[in-house]
Amino acid sequence: MKTQKTILVVEDEKSLCKAIVDILSRNNFLPIEAKNGKEGVELALSRHPDLILLDLIIPEVDGITALKKIRADAWGARVPIIILTNVSATNEQLVDDIVTHKPMNYLIKSDWKIQDVVAKIQEILGK
Amino acid sequence: MIKLSVCIFCLFIPLSYAQAGAILSLKNDVGVITIDNEMPVDSSHDILPIPVEATAPLGVLAEKLPLFDISSDQASNTPNGANRTTIRVAPGETLPISVKLSNFGGGKRVDVLVHYAIYNSSRDEIYSASETVAVETTVSLVKSATIPYGTYPGIHIAKTSITYQGQEFPAVTQFSFMVERKFFGIFQSDFFSYMFIVVIIGVFMFFLGNILVKHRREMRFIPLDYSNIPHNRRTFYEILSDTIMQMSRRVGDDAITIASKVSGLEIDATTGRILNLDGSPAKIIAELVSEYEKLFGKKVSFSFRKEIEPKGSS
Repeated sequence: MKTQKTILVVEDEKSLCKAIVDILSRNNFLPIEAKNGKEGVELALSRHPDLILLDLIIPEVDGITALKKIRADAWGARVPIIILTNVSATNEQLVDDIVTHKPMNYLIKSDWKIQDVVAKIQEILGK
Repeated sequence: MIKLSVCIFCLFIPLSYAQAGAILSLKNDVGVITIDNEMPVDSSHDILPIPVEATAPLGVLAEKLPLFDISSDQASNTPNGANRTTIRVAPGETLPISVKLSNFGGGKRVDVLVHYAIYNSSRDEIYSASETVAVETTVSLVKSATIPYGTYPGIHIAKTSITYQGQEFPAVTQFSFMVERKFFGIFQSDFFSYMFIVVIIGVFMFFLGNILVKHRREMRFIPLDYSNIPHNRRTFYEILSDTIMQMSRRVGDDAITIASKVSGLEIDATTGRILNLDGSPAKIIAELVSEYEKLFGKKVSFSFRKEIEPKGSS
Protein backbone atom coordinates (compact mmCIF):
# COMPACT_ATOMS: atom_id res chain seq x y z
CA MET A 1 0.00 0.00 0.00
CA LYS A 2 1.42 3.37 -1.09
CA THR A 3 1.68 5.95 1.62
CA GLN A 4 3.36 8.65 -0.43
CA LYS A 5 1.98 9.94 -3.71
CA THR A 6 4.53 9.98 -6.52
CA ILE A 7 4.89 13.13 -8.58
CA LEU A 8 6.88 13.17 -11.81
CA VAL A 9 8.44 16.59 -12.45
CA VAL A 10 9.44 17.07 -16.09
CA GLU A 11 11.40 20.33 -16.00
CA ASP A 12 14.73 21.24 -17.60
CA GLU A 13 15.31 24.38 -15.58
CA LYS A 14 17.47 23.04 -12.76
CA SER A 15 16.77 25.66 -10.08
CA LEU A 16 13.01 25.50 -10.60
CA CYS A 17 13.07 21.71 -10.72
CA LYS A 18 15.02 21.58 -7.45
CA ALA A 19 12.66 24.04 -5.77
CA ILE A 20 9.62 22.02 -6.83
CA VAL A 21 11.18 18.74 -5.72
CA ASP A 22 12.15 20.22 -2.34
CA ILE A 23 8.72 21.58 -1.60
CA LEU A 24 7.03 18.38 -2.76
CA SER A 25 9.29 16.37 -0.42
CA ARG A 26 8.43 18.69 2.45
CA ASN A 27 4.76 18.10 1.71
CA ASN A 28 5.16 14.32 1.98
CA PHE A 29 5.19 13.61 -1.75
CA LEU A 30 7.71 11.41 -3.48
CA PRO A 31 9.08 13.47 -6.39
CA ILE A 32 10.74 11.96 -9.48
CA GLU A 33 12.83 14.25 -11.69
CA ALA A 34 13.04 14.17 -15.46
CA LYS A 35 15.33 16.64 -17.26
CA ASN A 36 13.78 16.31 -20.73
CA GLY A 37 10.68 15.10 -22.51
CA LYS A 38 12.09 11.71 -23.51
CA GLU A 39 13.11 10.88 -19.95
CA GLY A 40 9.77 12.16 -18.77
CA VAL A 41 7.77 9.83 -21.00
CA GLU A 42 9.94 6.86 -20.04
CA LEU A 43 9.65 7.52 -16.31
CA ALA A 44 5.93 8.12 -16.62
CA LEU A 45 5.22 4.87 -18.40
CA SER A 46 7.59 2.84 -16.20
CA ARG A 47 6.95 4.32 -12.76
CA HIS A 48 3.29 5.25 -13.15
CA PRO A 49 3.35 8.33 -10.95
CA ASP A 50 0.17 9.62 -9.37
CA LEU A 51 0.54 12.99 -11.14
CA ILE A 52 2.81 14.56 -13.74
CA LEU A 53 4.06 18.16 -13.74
CA LEU A 54 5.04 18.89 -17.32
CA ASP A 55 6.86 21.83 -18.87
CA LEU A 56 6.21 22.53 -22.56
CA ILE A 57 9.57 23.85 -23.69
CA ILE A 58 11.91 20.99 -22.83
CA PRO A 59 14.76 19.32 -24.73
CA GLU A 60 14.66 16.18 -26.89
CA VAL A 61 10.87 15.73 -26.86
CA ASP A 62 8.73 18.85 -26.36
CA GLY A 63 5.96 18.94 -23.78
CA ILE A 64 3.03 18.57 -26.20
CA THR A 65 4.61 15.53 -27.84
CA ALA A 66 5.32 14.03 -24.44
CA LEU A 67 1.70 14.70 -23.47
CA LYS A 68 0.43 12.92 -26.58
CA LYS A 69 2.69 9.89 -25.95
CA ILE A 70 1.60 9.58 -22.35
CA ARG A 71 -2.08 9.93 -23.29
CA ALA A 72 -1.66 7.26 -25.92
CA ASP A 73 -0.91 4.72 -23.20
CA ALA A 74 -3.81 2.98 -21.46
CA TRP A 75 -2.58 4.01 -18.02
CA GLY A 76 -1.46 7.46 -19.23
CA ALA A 77 -4.89 8.27 -20.66
CA ARG A 78 -6.23 8.88 -17.16
CA VAL A 79 -3.22 10.14 -15.19
CA PRO A 80 -3.61 13.74 -13.99
CA ILE A 81 -1.19 16.06 -15.79
CA ILE A 82 -0.50 19.67 -14.93
CA ILE A 83 1.21 21.70 -17.61
CA LEU A 84 3.47 24.28 -16.01
CA THR A 85 4.78 26.65 -18.64
CA ASN A 86 5.39 30.21 -19.69
CA VAL A 87 3.96 29.61 -23.15
CA SER A 88 0.73 31.47 -23.60
CA ALA A 89 -2.05 29.59 -25.36
CA THR A 90 -2.27 32.00 -28.27
CA ASN A 91 -1.69 29.42 -30.95
CA GLU A 92 -4.65 27.60 -32.45
CA GLN A 93 -2.80 24.29 -32.80
CA LEU A 94 -1.52 24.47 -29.21
CA VAL A 95 -5.05 25.11 -27.91
CA ASP A 96 -6.41 22.29 -29.99
CA ASP A 97 -3.75 19.89 -28.66
CA ILE A 98 -4.40 20.93 -25.10
CA VAL A 99 -8.16 20.51 -25.43
CA THR A 100 -7.76 17.19 -27.19
CA HIS A 101 -5.35 15.68 -24.67
CA LYS A 102 -6.83 17.34 -21.64
CA PRO A 103 -4.32 17.99 -18.93
CA MET A 104 -5.99 18.82 -15.64
CA ASN A 105 -4.53 22.32 -15.67
CA TYR A 106 -2.60 24.60 -17.95
CA LEU A 107 -0.76 26.89 -15.54
CA ILE A 108 1.33 29.92 -16.42
CA LYS A 109 4.50 29.81 -14.32
CA SER A 110 4.68 33.57 -13.79
CA ASP A 111 1.17 33.63 -12.30
CA TRP A 112 1.66 30.74 -9.90
CA LYS A 113 3.70 30.38 -6.74
CA ILE A 114 5.21 26.95 -6.13
CA GLN A 115 3.21 26.62 -2.93
CA ASP A 116 -0.01 27.25 -4.89
CA VAL A 117 0.99 24.58 -7.40
CA VAL A 118 1.50 22.15 -4.51
CA ALA A 119 -1.93 23.13 -3.19
CA LYS A 120 -3.38 22.39 -6.62
CA ILE A 121 -1.66 18.98 -6.62
CA GLN A 122 -3.06 18.23 -3.17
CA GLU A 123 -6.52 19.27 -4.39
CA ILE A 124 -6.33 17.02 -7.42
CA LEU A 125 -5.00 14.03 -5.47
CA GLY A 126 -7.48 14.60 -2.67
CA LYS A 127 -4.73 14.84 -0.07
CA MET B 1 -34.19 73.97 43.89
CA ILE B 2 -31.74 75.32 46.33
CA LYS B 3 -33.55 77.63 48.53
CA LEU B 4 -32.33 79.60 51.44
CA SER B 5 -34.55 81.64 53.53
CA VAL B 6 -33.59 84.28 55.92
CA CYS B 7 -36.11 85.12 58.58
CA ILE B 8 -35.62 87.93 60.93
CA PHE B 9 -37.90 88.46 63.84
CA CYS B 10 -37.54 91.61 65.70
CA LEU B 11 -39.01 91.81 69.17
CA PHE B 12 -38.31 94.88 71.10
CA ILE B 13 -37.90 94.23 74.75
CA PRO B 14 -36.83 96.99 77.08
CA LEU B 15 -33.09 96.66 77.14
CA SER B 16 -32.82 97.00 80.90
CA TYR B 17 -35.00 93.92 81.47
CA ALA B 18 -33.60 91.86 78.72
CA GLN B 19 -30.03 92.45 79.76
CA ALA B 20 -30.89 91.48 83.29
CA GLY B 21 -32.25 88.13 82.12
CA ALA B 22 -35.80 89.04 83.07
CA ILE B 23 -38.84 87.14 81.84
CA LEU B 24 -41.75 89.23 80.70
CA SER B 25 -45.29 87.93 80.89
CA LEU B 26 -48.80 89.29 81.16
CA LYS B 27 -51.11 88.20 83.89
CA ASN B 28 -54.68 89.55 84.13
CA ASP B 29 -53.60 92.51 81.99
CA VAL B 30 -50.99 93.25 84.57
CA GLY B 31 -47.33 92.98 83.80
CA VAL B 32 -45.36 90.49 85.82
CA ILE B 33 -41.62 90.55 85.88
CA THR B 34 -39.72 87.59 87.16
CA ILE B 35 -36.02 87.58 87.73
CA ASP B 36 -33.89 84.53 87.04
CA ASN B 37 -33.66 82.11 89.95
CA GLU B 38 -36.25 83.97 91.94
CA MET B 39 -39.86 83.08 92.62
CA PRO B 40 -42.51 85.20 90.89
CA VAL B 41 -43.65 88.08 92.95
CA ASP B 42 -47.35 88.68 93.27
CA SER B 43 -47.58 92.23 92.13
CA SER B 44 -51.36 92.64 92.64
CA HIS B 45 -50.67 94.22 95.96
CA ASP B 46 -47.30 95.81 95.24
CA ILE B 47 -47.53 96.98 91.62
CA LEU B 48 -44.42 98.27 89.94
CA PRO B 49 -44.76 100.88 87.23
CA ILE B 50 -44.78 99.09 83.82
CA PRO B 51 -43.18 100.81 80.82
CA VAL B 52 -45.56 101.71 78.05
CA GLU B 53 -43.59 99.63 75.47
CA ALA B 54 -44.17 96.47 77.49
CA THR B 55 -47.94 96.73 77.35
CA ALA B 56 -48.12 97.62 73.69
CA PRO B 57 -49.43 94.93 71.16
CA LEU B 58 -46.58 92.80 69.77
CA GLY B 59 -47.53 93.51 66.15
CA VAL B 60 -47.04 97.18 66.73
CA LEU B 61 -43.65 96.68 68.25
CA ALA B 62 -42.19 94.49 65.42
CA GLU B 63 -40.28 96.68 63.02
CA LYS B 64 -40.71 95.62 59.37
CA LEU B 65 -37.11 95.12 58.22
CA PRO B 66 -36.33 93.72 54.70
CA LEU B 67 -36.44 89.93 54.55
CA PHE B 68 -35.35 88.28 51.33
CA ASP B 69 -35.73 84.84 49.89
CA ILE B 70 -33.32 84.10 47.04
CA SER B 71 -33.22 81.15 44.68
CA SER B 72 -31.20 80.48 41.58
CA ASP B 73 -31.09 77.95 38.79
CA GLN B 74 -29.92 77.61 35.25
CA ALA B 75 -32.44 79.21 32.92
CA SER B 76 -34.62 76.33 31.76
CA ASN B 77 -35.08 77.57 28.22
CA THR B 78 -31.47 76.97 27.32
CA PRO B 79 -30.42 74.03 25.12
CA ASN B 80 -28.62 72.38 28.01
CA GLY B 81 -31.23 72.97 30.62
CA ALA B 82 -33.49 70.02 30.00
CA ASN B 83 -32.10 68.14 32.94
CA ARG B 84 -30.43 69.87 35.84
CA THR B 85 -28.21 66.91 36.59
CA THR B 86 -26.60 67.21 33.18
CA ILE B 87 -26.08 70.95 32.88
CA ARG B 88 -23.07 71.27 30.65
CA VAL B 89 -21.39 74.33 29.26
CA ALA B 90 -18.34 74.55 27.05
CA PRO B 91 -15.58 77.12 27.62
CA GLY B 92 -16.52 80.30 25.77
CA GLU B 93 -20.23 79.62 26.02
CA THR B 94 -22.65 81.43 28.29
CA LEU B 95 -24.35 79.96 31.31
CA PRO B 96 -27.72 81.63 31.90
CA ILE B 97 -28.25 82.01 35.66
CA SER B 98 -31.84 82.55 36.65
CA VAL B 99 -32.33 84.30 40.01
CA LYS B 100 -35.56 84.97 41.85
CA LEU B 101 -35.68 87.49 44.71
CA SER B 102 -38.67 87.72 47.01
CA ASN B 103 -39.03 90.35 49.68
CA PHE B 104 -41.06 89.09 52.64
CA GLY B 105 -40.17 92.00 54.79
CA GLY B 106 -42.95 94.39 53.79
CA GLY B 107 -43.89 96.46 50.85
CA LYS B 108 -40.89 98.81 50.89
CA ARG B 109 -38.74 98.97 47.79
CA VAL B 110 -35.21 97.93 48.63
CA ASP B 111 -32.04 98.20 46.56
CA VAL B 112 -30.36 94.84 46.46
CA LEU B 113 -26.83 94.21 45.20
CA VAL B 114 -26.77 90.86 43.44
CA HIS B 115 -23.34 89.26 43.08
CA TYR B 116 -22.73 86.38 40.67
CA ALA B 117 -19.65 84.19 40.83
CA ILE B 118 -18.51 80.92 39.32
CA TYR B 119 -15.99 78.70 41.09
CA ASN B 120 -14.06 75.76 39.77
CA SER B 121 -13.47 72.52 41.65
CA SER B 122 -10.42 74.09 43.35
CA ARG B 123 -12.69 76.84 44.69
CA ASP B 124 -10.97 79.43 42.49
CA GLU B 125 -13.24 82.15 41.19
CA ILE B 126 -13.27 82.12 37.39
CA TYR B 127 -16.12 84.56 36.85
CA SER B 128 -17.54 87.46 38.82
CA ALA B 129 -20.23 90.09 38.15
CA SER B 130 -22.55 92.33 40.16
CA GLU B 131 -25.66 94.33 39.55
CA THR B 132 -28.09 96.31 41.65
CA VAL B 133 -31.84 95.81 41.40
CA ALA B 134 -34.73 97.43 43.23
CA VAL B 135 -37.05 94.88 44.75
CA GLU B 136 -40.45 95.64 46.15
CA THR B 137 -42.00 92.18 46.25
CA THR B 138 -40.54 89.79 43.67
CA VAL B 139 -37.96 90.12 40.91
CA SER B 140 -36.73 87.51 38.46
CA LEU B 141 -33.38 87.99 36.78
CA VAL B 142 -31.43 86.07 34.18
CA LYS B 143 -27.70 86.69 34.07
CA SER B 144 -25.65 85.34 31.19
CA ALA B 145 -22.28 84.34 32.58
CA THR B 146 -19.63 83.63 29.97
CA ILE B 147 -17.37 80.72 30.87
CA PRO B 148 -13.81 81.87 30.09
CA TYR B 149 -11.87 80.12 27.36
CA GLY B 150 -9.25 77.89 28.89
CA THR B 151 -11.47 76.85 31.77
CA TYR B 152 -10.55 73.33 32.76
CA PRO B 153 -13.30 70.76 32.41
CA GLY B 154 -15.00 69.60 35.57
CA ILE B 155 -17.74 70.40 38.02
CA HIS B 156 -18.20 74.10 38.71
CA ILE B 157 -20.47 76.02 41.04
CA ALA B 158 -22.51 79.09 40.12
CA LYS B 159 -23.04 81.05 43.32
CA THR B 160 -25.37 84.05 43.70
CA SER B 161 -25.46 86.22 46.81
CA ILE B 162 -27.31 89.37 47.71
CA THR B 163 -26.48 92.34 49.90
CA TYR B 164 -28.99 94.93 51.04
CA GLN B 165 -29.49 97.59 53.62
CA GLY B 166 -30.24 96.19 57.04
CA GLN B 167 -29.19 92.66 56.14
CA GLU B 168 -28.48 90.58 59.19
CA PHE B 169 -27.67 87.21 57.62
CA PRO B 170 -25.94 86.29 54.39
CA ALA B 171 -28.30 85.16 51.63
CA VAL B 172 -26.58 82.85 49.15
CA THR B 173 -27.79 80.33 46.62
CA GLN B 174 -25.84 78.08 44.29
CA PHE B 175 -26.06 75.24 41.83
CA SER B 176 -23.48 73.07 40.19
CA PHE B 177 -22.85 72.46 36.53
CA MET B 178 -20.30 70.79 34.33
CA VAL B 179 -17.78 72.51 32.10
CA GLU B 180 -16.90 70.23 29.19
CA ARG B 181 -15.02 70.81 25.97
CA LYS B 182 -16.72 70.46 22.62
CA PHE B 183 -15.48 68.75 19.46
CA PHE B 184 -17.12 69.90 16.27
CA GLY B 185 -19.91 71.47 18.29
CA ILE B 186 -20.55 68.30 20.29
CA PHE B 187 -19.69 67.82 23.94
CA GLN B 188 -16.62 65.66 24.42
CA SER B 189 -18.41 62.81 26.20
CA ASP B 190 -21.20 62.83 23.61
CA PHE B 191 -18.62 62.99 20.85
CA PHE B 192 -16.87 59.87 22.13
CA SER B 193 -20.22 58.11 22.57
CA TYR B 194 -21.22 59.00 19.02
CA MET B 195 -17.80 57.98 17.72
CA PHE B 196 -18.10 54.65 19.50
CA ILE B 197 -21.53 54.08 17.97
CA VAL B 198 -20.25 55.18 14.55
CA VAL B 199 -17.28 52.81 14.83
CA ILE B 200 -19.53 49.93 15.88
CA ILE B 201 -21.90 50.65 13.00
CA GLY B 202 -18.94 51.10 10.66
CA VAL B 203 -17.40 47.78 11.64
CA PHE B 204 -20.79 46.11 11.30
CA MET B 205 -21.35 47.68 7.88
CA PHE B 206 -17.83 46.73 6.81
CA PHE B 207 -18.34 43.09 7.65
CA LEU B 208 -21.86 43.09 6.23
CA GLY B 209 -20.59 44.74 3.04
CA ASN B 210 -17.78 42.22 2.75
CA ILE B 211 -20.21 39.35 3.17
CA LEU B 212 -22.55 40.81 0.54
CA VAL B 213 -19.72 41.54 -1.91
CA LYS B 214 -18.28 38.07 -1.39
CA HIS B 215 -21.69 36.49 -1.83
CA ARG B 216 -22.33 38.54 -4.97
CA ARG B 217 -18.92 37.65 -6.35
CA GLU B 218 -19.40 33.99 -5.60
CA MET B 219 -22.79 34.08 -7.26
CA ARG B 220 -21.29 35.84 -10.24
CA PHE B 221 -18.34 33.50 -10.58
CA ILE B 222 -20.12 30.21 -10.25
CA PRO B 223 -19.01 28.28 -13.33
CA LEU B 224 -21.72 28.32 -15.96
CA ASP B 225 -23.21 25.04 -17.01
CA TYR B 226 -22.84 23.91 -20.62
CA SER B 227 -24.21 20.38 -20.31
CA ASN B 228 -26.61 21.19 -23.17
CA ILE B 229 -23.68 21.61 -25.56
CA PRO B 230 -22.57 18.51 -27.52
CA HIS B 231 -19.69 16.71 -25.80
CA ASN B 232 -17.14 17.29 -28.59
CA ARG B 233 -17.54 21.10 -28.28
CA ARG B 234 -18.40 21.41 -24.60
CA THR B 235 -14.77 21.68 -23.42
CA PHE B 236 -14.19 24.69 -25.67
CA TYR B 237 -17.29 26.39 -24.26
CA GLU B 238 -16.15 25.67 -20.73
CA ILE B 239 -12.59 26.90 -21.35
CA LEU B 240 -13.85 30.11 -22.96
CA SER B 241 -16.44 30.70 -20.25
CA ASP B 242 -13.99 30.03 -17.39
CA THR B 243 -11.32 32.18 -19.03
CA ILE B 244 -13.70 35.14 -19.38
CA MET B 245 -14.79 34.67 -15.77
CA GLN B 246 -11.19 34.43 -14.57
CA MET B 247 -10.29 37.64 -16.37
CA SER B 248 -13.43 39.36 -15.04
CA ARG B 249 -12.18 38.66 -11.54
CA ARG B 250 -8.88 40.32 -12.39
CA VAL B 251 -9.90 43.26 -14.57
CA GLY B 252 -13.67 43.58 -14.15
CA ASP B 253 -16.33 43.86 -16.83
CA ASP B 254 -13.79 44.88 -19.47
CA ALA B 255 -13.06 41.17 -19.84
CA ILE B 256 -16.61 40.61 -21.14
CA THR B 257 -16.42 43.65 -23.41
CA ILE B 258 -13.20 42.40 -25.00
CA ALA B 259 -14.54 38.86 -25.35
CA SER B 260 -17.63 40.16 -27.14
CA LYS B 261 -15.35 41.66 -29.81
CA VAL B 262 -13.59 38.39 -30.62
CA SER B 263 -14.78 37.20 -34.02
CA GLY B 264 -16.83 34.02 -33.94
CA LEU B 265 -17.55 34.36 -30.23
CA GLU B 266 -21.13 35.22 -29.26
CA ILE B 267 -21.63 35.88 -25.55
CA ASP B 268 -24.22 37.29 -23.15
CA ALA B 269 -22.98 40.80 -22.36
CA THR B 270 -24.27 40.61 -18.78
CA THR B 271 -23.30 37.17 -17.60
CA GLY B 272 -20.51 36.32 -20.03
CA ARG B 273 -22.25 33.08 -20.95
CA ILE B 274 -21.09 31.64 -24.26
CA LEU B 275 -24.06 31.60 -26.60
CA ASN B 276 -22.47 30.37 -29.79
CA LEU B 277 -19.11 29.63 -31.43
CA ASP B 278 -18.82 30.30 -35.12
CA GLY B 279 -15.69 28.79 -36.63
CA SER B 280 -12.75 26.94 -35.07
CA PRO B 281 -13.19 26.92 -31.27
CA ALA B 282 -9.42 26.53 -30.76
CA LYS B 283 -8.82 29.59 -32.91
CA ILE B 284 -11.39 31.57 -30.90
CA ILE B 285 -9.72 30.57 -27.63
CA ALA B 286 -6.27 31.47 -28.99
CA GLU B 287 -7.54 34.85 -30.19
CA LEU B 288 -9.26 35.61 -26.87
CA VAL B 289 -6.13 34.70 -24.87
CA SER B 290 -4.07 36.78 -27.24
CA GLU B 291 -6.36 39.82 -26.78
CA TYR B 292 -6.25 39.54 -23.00
CA GLU B 293 -2.49 39.26 -23.04
CA LYS B 294 -2.17 42.21 -25.41
CA LEU B 295 -4.58 44.52 -23.57
CA PHE B 296 -4.02 43.56 -19.93
CA GLY B 297 -0.51 42.13 -20.11
CA LYS B 298 -1.76 39.03 -18.34
CA LYS B 299 -1.31 35.45 -19.50
CA VAL B 300 -4.15 33.02 -19.06
CA SER B 301 -4.08 29.73 -17.19
CA PHE B 302 -6.72 27.07 -17.80
CA SER B 303 -8.28 24.49 -15.61
CA PHE B 304 -10.27 21.72 -17.21
CA ARG B 305 -13.47 20.74 -15.53
CA LYS B 306 -13.77 17.21 -14.27
CA GLU B 307 -15.69 14.95 -16.58
CA ILE B 308 -18.92 13.70 -15.01
CA GLU B 309 -18.81 9.92 -15.17
CA PRO B 310 -21.98 8.43 -16.71
CA LYS B 311 -24.05 6.47 -14.21
CA GLY B 312 -23.19 2.78 -14.07
CA SER B 313 -19.70 3.23 -15.50
CA SER B 314 -16.85 1.73 -13.49
